[in-house]
Amino acid sequence: MTATLAALEVRGLRKVYRSGLRGRPVTALSGIDFTVQPGELFGLLGPNGAGKTTTVKILLGLTHATEGSARIFGLPVGDPESRRRVGYLPEGHRFPGYLTARATLSVFGQMSGVSRADLARRIPALLERVKLSNWADVKVKKFSKGMTQRLGLAAALVHEPDVLLLDEPTDGVDPVGRREIRDLLREEANKGRAVLLNSHLLSEIELTCDRVAMLRQGKVAAEGRVADLTASQNPGFTHYKMIVSPVSDELLTSFRDTGALVERVNGHLQLATRDLEHLNTLVDRARAQGAALQELSPMRSSLEDVFVDLVKMDAPGASMEGGK
Amino acid sequence: MRTLVANVEEVFREAAARWVLVAYFAISTIFILVFSFAINLDIVDGALAGAKIFGQAVESRDLRNGGIDIEQLVLGFESGFSVFLYIVGTFLALFATAHLVPRLQEKGTIDLYLSRPVGRVQLLLSRYLGGLLLSASNLFYLMGSIWLVVVWKTKVVHPQFFLAALVILLVIASFLSFSFLVGTLTGSTGVATMTTFSLFFLSLFVAAHDRMAAALDSELAAGLLHGLYWILPKTQEMGKAVFALVAGEEAPGRLASALTLSPFLTTAAFGVVCLALASWHFQRKDF
Repeated sequence: MTATLAALEVRGLRKVYRSGLRGRPVTALSGIDFTVQPGELFGLLGPNGAGKTTTVKILLGLTHATEGSARIFGLPVGDPESRRRVGYLPEGHRFPGYLTARATLSVFGQMSGVSRADLARRIPALLERVKLSNWADVKVKKFSKGMTQRLGLAAALVHEPDVLLLDEPTDGVDPVGRREIRDLLREEANKGRAVLLNSHLLSEIELTCDRVAMLRQGKVAAEGRVADLTASQNPGFTHYKMIVSPVSDELLTSFRDTGALVERVNGHLQLATRDLEHLNTLVDRARAQGAALQELSPMRSSLEDVFVDLVKMDAPGASMEGGK
Repeated sequence: MRTLVANVEEVFREAAARWVLVAYFAISTIFILVFSFAINLDIVDGALAGAKIFGQAVESRDLRNGGIDIEQLVLGFESGFSVFLYIVGTFLALFATAHLVPRLQEKGTIDLYLSRPVGRVQLLLSRYLGGLLLSASNLFYLMGSIWLVVVWKTKVVHPQFFLAALVILLVIASFLSFSFLVGTLTGSTGVATMTTFSLFFLSLFVAAHDRMAAALDSELAAGLLHGLYWILPKTQEMGKAVFALVAGEEAPGRLASALTLSPFLTTAAFGVVCLALASWHFQRKDF
């Protein structure tokens, strides 16, 4: 029964903040929808103020939604029981500095309802997993930012949750540590855990997540698989970068005559072709005109390109498309 | 239950780590040691025949005229001392616990607690219980130790002394609720401490509401003053009750008359209302 339920289900979520009696209402979320399935790594992206943190806070019951619903394995987020299956790593978390790493995991494990006997078994393994074994009995106040992040990750995992909500998990972590965290998250997803990653580091999201939702002005502006979002922006066309020499106007015209989209950018050509046969036709035409082919490679826009394009839409004068 | 225990333990662990617990017990211990070593009593046939304080002999006409009844002396000391403890114990307890809610609500901390499967009201009440247990443990340590020293020095066993601890704890519980309410509203330890102590003194002040109202021209102002008196904890009456309960039949009539149910009920009601309001606000708050 449980296996058929979505790990996270958000429907029409809206949040309006009001400060004081006369404060102007600020809409943080304007009705967002998304679903995260067990075993999925899902990224939540968006510029500052897009509503990412508000979404995560509502999922954890830290903030109350104005409208709409959010469920964790079918339980409404207002029910504290929904959080029994959630592991959370907040951004800028502050574990009590007087606790050791071991005591921190023990305290927060107990607060999640884990018995002392289970904690005694789990904690050493978890500390080993986040590479903090040698620091188990050192007070948290002595930890570096990266070590605190690792401890936060261990605290999020201590009660063996089915959903992980992680806010900037690699913040302050060195490149090797980042890779280790990415691997750990992939392992958790492979075990069937759903992971929601909230990060500004687009390359991290691109490397880690299966699917992303991009928030803009409190709405889901784009959602889908990372591969789909970063694929060609011209449906039915595949993009290539071609370096040929020499490039003449006749060559460009002959390319365009085939129906290809051609643009000259910084000494190379950006081509959009229908298929491989179409691409080969262009190569043949270049050779026929005496141009030497130096490089030909497929082009994909990075997640950052997609993100920047979305953010640009916020700029004055830009078209404001809403929804997905 | 496991969550509740973990939260209560956390209050003690935090108090220990921040030296609050150590300072709290150290001050009490110094007081107990000074008390136990400073006073030397010479008791003959149930009467005090001689006494030395810090090695100096106490000169008294009563002592020269055949001694003081030791039972009376213990009763007098414990009654007076319990009133002293009422003030000091309440102040120490409120200082030691004022940070409990503001610290919990700090950004980066509250997320860690509320992301666990614990209801907000349960979380707040477990902190409250932790604070109250912390105050109670110190109060009983201090009173229990003094009581044992008195038994050791005088051989007089007077368990009524502990009734004072229960009354003091009720007053602490009531003011702690107010401190929690201010803490949830403002998130500031400083404001919670200042307003709670101000309320303590205000409640002492309005105990004279009858005399003050008689001096007022405005009936509205007089009505407000009477209303304030009935709303706030009955700090003065509770102090009198502490003395009267410990002194028992020996209590002066003006103090014994304070020993009615009404001050206890209104003091408890104030605490319950404050705690309910704090819980309501904490439940609704966005973090």
